[in-house]
Amino acid sequence: MLGESRAKRFSLEGLLLLGALLFIAPVLLMALTSFKPDSEIIRFTGVFPHQWTLDNFREILGSPEEIPLLRWFFNSVFISSSVTLLVLTVDALAAYGLARLNLPGKKPFMILILAMLMVPGQIMLVPMYLILNQLGWLDSPLSLIVPAGAGVFGVFLLHQFFVGIPKDLEEAAILEGCNRFQVFWHVILPLSKPALATLGIFTFMGAWNDFVGPLVFLDSVEKYTMPVGIALFQTSYYAEYGITLAAAMLCTLPTLIAFLLFQRQIVEGISMSGLKE
Amino acid sequence: MNTRQNQFQRYSGWIFVLPFLILFAAFLLTPLLYGLALSFFNWEMLSPAPTQFIGWGNFHEALHSDRFWTSTLATARFVLMATPATVGIALALALGINTIQGRRQAFYRASYFLPGLLSISVAGLLWTWFYNGEFGLFNAYLEKVGIKIPWLTSTSWAMKSIVIMSLWWCLGGATIILLAGRQQISQSLYEAASMDGAGALRSLWHITIPQMRPVLLFVTVTNIIGSFQVFGQTYIITRGGPEDSTRVLVQYIYETAFLHYRMGYGSAMCWLLFAFIAFFSVIQFMAMKERR
Repeated sequence: MLGESRAKRFSLEGLLLLGALLFIAPVLLMALTSFKPDSEIIRFTGVFPHQWTLDNFREILGSPEEIPLLRWFFNSVFISSSVTLLVLTVDALAAYGLARLNLPGKKPFMILILAMLMVPGQIMLVPMYLILNQLGWLDSPLSLIVPAGAGVFGVFLLHQFFVGIPKDLEEAAILEGCNRFQVFWHVILPLSKPALATLGIFTFMGAWNDFVGPLVFLDSVEKYTMPVGIALFQTSYYAEYGITLAAAMLCTLPTLIAFLLFQRQIVEGISMSGLKE
Repeated sequence: MNTRQNQFQRYSGWIFVLPFLILFAAFLLTPLLYGLALSFFNWEMLSPAPTQFIGWGNFHEALHSDRFWTSTLATARFVLMATPATVGIALALALGINTIQGRRQAFYRASYFLPGLLSISVAGLLWTWFYNGEFGLFNAYLEKVGIKIPWLTSTSWAMKSIVIMSLWWCLGGATIILLAGRQQISQSLYEAASMDGAGALRSLWHITIPQMRPVLLFVTVTNIIGSFQVFGQTYIITRGGPEDSTRVLVQYIYETAFLHYRMGYGSAMCWLLFAFIAFFSVIQFMAMKERR
């Protein structure tokens, strides 16, 4: 009886392991292949390179006029960091106001925010393009940074977190003469580091990986972010998989490192999104 | 005496909300309403024709256009394959991973989530290479057993290939949410059931599924919303082909608005997409609420 259920458990985990390997394999293959010489890519000769080489990386980094890869990388760093900073600032302030200050008109506003969570982002694409055009922000990083501050997810997430913080600490701080902003800054923010970290990582990764926004709002090649730059790669270097995969590796590295460092926060953030109420 | 001051204090809290409020109004509410208004205008950026109010004209044009229905059908095929498969497989994975504890559980959770870290352009590029007919990885292996699958070149396979790739890319997130939902269920329910002699299948059907109904509903609806907006995959891997078999609605909207600059028509189709999404989400809500 016991033996049977153990055998079952082992075969179940065997299946899970097989699936997990299948899910990891493409990413691993991307990494390994970026170190292969072209001859080994055209004719598949096995998972691991016979001859390790940095040629692909040298080629994509060595001709900045033809392939402004570093430029794209820094554009991505700049845009994603700015978006993260903006979202954290604006959302934390708003969520605190909504969670604590008993504002008149708060209820309908929260309902509006919740409703906006369900609105598909793509329906905004055309009017947003025209608004950005009016502002003269097309083909500028501003087109990707400022509108990101309008997202409702962060306000919702932080609001849920702030509501859960006991009020005693704040009241004590107010008795000692702190004003509302000082309470927010010295009491609430330090207590909210986990939630802020979760939101920050999500926002950064989302902005880093965003594809449709830069595709529609940016025009000049030197203003591109990594994901759109790489898509361009595919059309202009068709079937040169070595250098394409090397570029893809460089695009993926930051999110991979972020995941390794903040795995717990990322998993918690995703779990929380499904456990409302 | 200090009611005025109180009043000020009450409203002054909105100062905290103000920066967000401005952005929210400018870049969420305005585009939403602006887009709706735009749908009723004949707004062509490249044409000398003046912009004019044309009532339901854009909607009328879409609903009588073959291209619109072809891309709506392609989108529907994607949703009908991707959403049930995502929810079903993610549920199976979540229940499987739940039986394993500690570091190994974390390992499985992370492994299945790993593909989600890739930008769609990277993921799409990778799978274009796998699917390639000549030097693609899949056919290199399949040829050894005498099979060759026209992954991207046949109208019957292309969308399936896109779905397979999307499952790989998106399953991890759904699995993590469902796993968290499963872990919310109190162990005592299962203990009571097993004392009553219920087997594994019966507790799955009578405890796990009903208890997880809210989180299943959440995953299903968000997946429907996401799947209807599929675009990056098809844009990069198939460019809509072969023969429009993967030209999804968002790609058609993208081409209408940003290649032909027909802004009014593009906006109208955006709202039709929204209507489809809302319709399916509401049906899903009602279906899952009723069974309660």
